[in-house]
Amino acid sequence: MVQGVNTIVGAAPALDLDAQLMLRVRDGDEHSFGVLLEKHRNPVIHFVYRMVQDRAIAEELSQEVFLRVYRSRETYEPTARFTTWLFRIATHLALNWLRDGRKERGHQRLDATRDLEKDGEMPAREVSDRKPSVEQRMVYETTLREVREAIALLPEKQRAAVLMHKYEEMDYSQIANVLECSESAVKSLLFRAYESLRARLAHMVTGETR
Amino acid sequence: MSCPLQTEETDLLLDYSAGRLDAVRAAALAHHMETCPDCASFRMEQKTVWDALDAWEPAPVSMDFNRRLWQRIEAAAAVPWYQSLAESLRFANWKPVVPLTAAILVIAAGFLLDHPRAKNNPAPGVSVTEANQVEQTLDDIQLLDQLDAVIPAGAVKSKSM
Repeated sequence: MVQGVNTIVGAAPALDLDAQLMLRVRDGDEHSFGVLLEKHRNPVIHFVYRMVQDRAIAEELSQEVFLRVYRSRETYEPTARFTTWLFRIATHLALNWLRDGRKERGHQRLDATRDLEKDGEMPAREVSDRKPSVEQRMVYETTLREVREAIALLPEKQRAAVLMHKYEEMDYSQIANVLECSESAVKSLLFRAYESLRARLAHMVTGETR
Repeated sequence: MSCPLQTEETDLLLDYSAGRLDAVRAAALAHHMETCPDCASFRMEQKTVWDALDAWEPAPVSMDFNRRLWQRIEAAAAVPWYQSLAESLRFANWKPVVPLTAAILVIAAGFLLDHPRAKNNPAPGVSVTEANQVEQTLDDIQLLDQLDAVIPAGAVKSKSM
């Protein structure tokens, strides 16, 4: 179970700021929990969203993540970096959701023609003064769809490793702590994941990257 | 520098493509790629993936996310412990439990088949009916003895003749 992971993650070299805030939460300071929530809310939701590829589910699971953090405050021990613990909970919940068979529903949504604007996925650059042309917009949507599908086709653990490596900029040891495996296993996961992605997205090579 | 692809140090190429390699090793790898087409190709393909992944910007978070969370926290504080336990189990992955339960049932069934319970052999004892019969018989014998003592044997013989 996830609830007890706060005491079994590997040793942390020093008490990070987040862990100090969490210790204050343990002592009854709810304001510190608000600070932690503000700081980590978006990374957690974005990570879970990219895992499950459904905005509503991502927010529901992310609420559960922070709820579990809050519930565990009394037994919290800063034995690891706070983000490692946080993302371990998030990863467990996302993987459980995917493995629970509910992913089929998510994939149905993914396979369908998605309204990216409705899901809020059109990039911020669209709001800028220079509106993208219809062609640019179509290219972007095609690219985005292919990326999402390529990520969705990865085995769940590879997917989690890639998302943490690429978007959360975690190093190998932190990913290993989150996924509860060795660093060499993480390197292997990432190598295989990026190999699959290179094969699926190779046709996107443009003159710029050459 | 030895070829990362041949020494299975592909993480160096991944880190280089992600811009996370330190300057010294990045320079050495860049120099190596000038003469290694395999590594250069790997790096180009990896950069393509990296750039493609950059295109995926996540959906914005709902404005009322924090409010809903605090509501849940307050509600959770008010519910009894068994309900909060059930809620937390809602997100648990139960699939591994199924084969485990099946395995336990099979082992239990095998144990029961291998060690059948001893048949209920009732302890040797005397039922109430049997006890009454024995008591009645003893009373009868005692009565006969008393009759034998009162009536002489000759009298009984002459009467019967």
